[in-house]
Amino acid sequence: MIIELEKALGLAQKLGAEYADARYVTITQAPVSVSSDGAPKAAHYKSSGLGLRVLVDGAWGFAATPYLDPRSIEKVADEAVRIAAASARHKRGDGVSLSPLPPIRAKRQTPHKKDPLLVKAEDKVRLLKEVLDRAKKVPGVTRASASIMSYKEEKEFMSTDGRRVEQTSIHTGASLTVMARGTGDVQSRSFSDYQDAGYEFVESLDLAQKAETLGEEAVALLKAPVCPQGVTDLVMGGQMVALQIHESCGHPVELDRVLGQEATFAGTSFLTTDKKGNYRYGSPCVNIVADATAPGGLGTFGFDDEGVEAQRVDLVSEGVFVDYLTSRELAPRLGQESNGTMRAVGWNNIPLVRMTNINLEPGDWTLKEIIKDTKEGVFVETPKSWSLDDKRLNFHFGQEIAYEIKDGSLGKMLKNPAYTGVTPEFWGSCDAVAGKEKEEWLIWGTPGCAKGEPVQVIHVGHGAAPARFRKVRVGVGE
Amino acid sequence: MIGKEDVVKVLEKAVSLAKGFDLEVSLNAEDLSLTRFYENHIHQNLRRQDHVLTVRVIKDRKIGVAQANLLDDGSLRSAVMSALENAEVAGEEEDFPGLPKPQEIKEMASYVPATASYRPADRAEACGIVISMAKAKGLEAAGSFATVARETAVANTLGVRAYHASTEAFFRCIVQSGPNTGYADRLTRDVREITFEDVAREAIEKATLYPDAKDLPPGRYDTIFLEYALADLIRFLGMYSFGAEAKQQGRSFMASRMGQKVMGGNITIWDDGLDGRGLAVPFDSEGVPKKKVVLIDKGVAAGVVYDSRTAAKDGVKSTGHAGPSEGRFGPLPGNMFLAEGESTLDEMIANTSRGLLVTRFHYTHCPEPVRVIATGTTRDGTFLIEGGRIVARVKNLRFTESMVEAFSRVESISKSSRLTRDWWGTFSSVLPAVKIKEFTFTGATSF
Repeated sequence: MIIELEKALGLAQKLGAEYADARYVTITQAPVSVSSDGAPKAAHYKSSGLGLRVLVDGAWGFAATPYLDPRSIEKVADEAVRIAAASARHKRGDGVSLSPLPPIRAKRQTPHKKDPLLVKAEDKVRLLKEVLDRAKKVPGVTRASASIMSYKEEKEFMSTDGRRVEQTSIHTGASLTVMARGTGDVQSRSFSDYQDAGYEFVESLDLAQKAETLGEEAVALLKAPVCPQGVTDLVMGGQMVALQIHESCGHPVELDRVLGQEATFAGTSFLTTDKKGNYRYGSPCVNIVADATAPGGLGTFGFDDEGVEAQRVDLVSEGVFVDYLTSRELAPRLGQESNGTMRAVGWNNIPLVRMTNINLEPGDWTLKEIIKDTKEGVFVETPKSWSLDDKRLNFHFGQEIAYEIKDGSLGKMLKNPAYTGVTPEFWGSCDAVAGKEKEEWLIWGTPGCAKGEPVQVIHVGHGAAPARFRKVRVGVGE
Repeated sequence: MIGKEDVVKVLEKAVSLAKGFDLEVSLNAEDLSLTRFYENHIHQNLRRQDHVLTVRVIKDRKIGVAQANLLDDGSLRSAVMSALENAEVAGEEEDFPGLPKPQEIKEMASYVPATASYRPADRAEACGIVISMAKAKGLEAAGSFATVARETAVANTLGVRAYHASTEAFFRCIVQSGPNTGYADRLTRDVREITFEDVAREAIEKATLYPDAKDLPPGRYDTIFLEYALADLIRFLGMYSFGAEAKQQGRSFMASRMGQKVMGGNITIWDDGLDGRGLAVPFDSEGVPKKKVVLIDKGVAAGVVYDSRTAAKDGVKSTGHAGPSEGRFGPLPGNMFLAEGESTLDEMIANTSRGLLVTRFHYTHCPEPVRVIATGTTRDGTFLIEGGRIVARVKNLRFTESMVEAFSRVESISKSSRLTRDWWGTFSSVLPAVKIKEFTFTGATSF
């Protein structure tokens, strides 16, 4: 496709673009799912096309087409330039200028042993059926469902700056939900995780054992008391910490959001530019990085969709907010160069500042030590709902399951837990992060991060371990 | 636009490839143009054209699905073969009644050439109106303006042939005045119906009314919800309660309370995909014509919406609410209406001794779907009412409340409705403003 990309760039320049980049992307997916009240389902999705982004008179235009014939490429170049010219009627000051980049040629592919798209659907169905069988064996389970994701993105990128990058990303993983129904109550337990990896990741998940445990928990939740309201110490499991990072750190550090570009839909951010380098975001044990180079992370890649190398960047150091996720256009407004987070979904969307792997660095505790050190509190795990205000300050998170903590031990199971708080106060109350034991710190794959208009749902990752937060308001909503 | 003739040709070709099995093929083509602005300038501007062809093959009661976005003969054949291979892997669907047979489909005039042919320069000019009006008052405007042309078509081997072309224009803006914001939007099939000056005036008025926002403690307040806000409250009833699959799986409160009084006697909610006041589309993704379904009738749980599969399970006919590729939530009501009342907004405010007016919500969610306990924060204009008039702006609040219980305490409903879309864009509903007694706010923000 390099010839078509070159042609699109050449036409755009001929029509007046001072800068242009073009992507040809093919996304292939083969989801397989099973449920206890229906037959196994298999599907195959393929989408490919070319997206062209241009700068004309300092303003952006973008057009996309699924077709690569000469007429379609001419049309898309003409369209992108005309759109940019319209944008220029209301451009900002002298217009967009991009942080510099030297020419490069590069390739990147997800390291993997088994391509999930080459694993037979029959084998995936067989694995998932075993998982369902284990869940259904638990007395009281009324429904179970499971699925496997197999996703491949093949992308070629070229820019008039001389950047030329080919990347193939393979993402795979599985999800599992087990439901139990009582009188006027339904309780579910679930698991999901995804990686930038081969099918060997799915095989390593031990889904059948998880199904049995989750089934037992879902049934037990029906009889569990509701999580009481109050202010208490909160210990969160790793998957819940991952979502907390996503919503209350990952989104607020997106510089486009901070500057107001997402105000109408996704909202803005409390982390205004005056806070960079001097704002206490959390306690000294809170260290958060954006790491697009982390092996296996669902937000791992070689180059972003402006052709900028993947990077590891400190966002919060010892509790102090130090940097944003940026782009070639926005980084210069802070006197910086892009840290490589402009990503687009597929071929027909513009790149936006997106999370990569936003990781809470491991602490020097184990979960066991944290529980033992907690006199009274609640342990919560697995996100069930999430809601934040449009500056990402006030939040409310619901979980699937909780346990009371009494005198350093886990006590009775609690249902319908939830907690609420305000972001900097909440992270300021964090006094223990696990991760001393390697298996407690995982990069959780989150394939459903939504942003932009039209909305783009992208894959990101979050390195997280269990952590403790003091004096949190829990049990809200009952 | 591909055009009806060419769309039909593609579908007929796909259907002709079915040898020894049943096949359903649908085509969703979209031509979307979108301009976004912030800080009084345009920062994103795009056009994208794509089409998604979905093939569903049924062989020996086994179902396989494939999607492609290229429409040449090779891509069509490949999609059909892929769906067939997937069907062979799938298990037998015991409760699948087979593909629907053809039924008469109502013709609807949903395509407006003026919207489809709107140019980038037209969108820039429209955004410029709002930008200029904001600038003139020393304010900043942000927003987005989408114009979309769509073609939706379904065919199957039993003779279903359905085609519908539509357009849509959605303009929304937020005006920033110091720490305060105001919001307005318009959603319509015909872009010529949008008066951009009116949208700007509404957002500016909301942003500048009572600049000093007061802290208000969480608590229970009689609250008036504008249509934008109500769209978010009703969204969770649509997602978690009014679909047949949720009822059949016991995930909806409707499962155990059908025929019982569940909300106030002044609440009637229905879905009508044939009512042109909404974004009507006359058939669903199976090519089954849409039917009007009363969901709540004067407070009584009256019905849920069905696709073919869930209908067969309950021994009823599909209401024409199948989602794309048998979506995650099952059949859903995409065109909800709430019956109007007899009040005006001014009367609702005048009849409030102490309460709140909420413009809209941000990032709502539903922690407990069975009881439809929802949560979210207000944004872009929350105001205190005292003695029958608006007296102050208040800082944003978080609500946490069961929607079933909240709709049991609706005191008054406005006598006019408008087409509106919830924050996430899940549904486009035709809704009035409502006043709910003692609505529960559980948290406050600092802005």
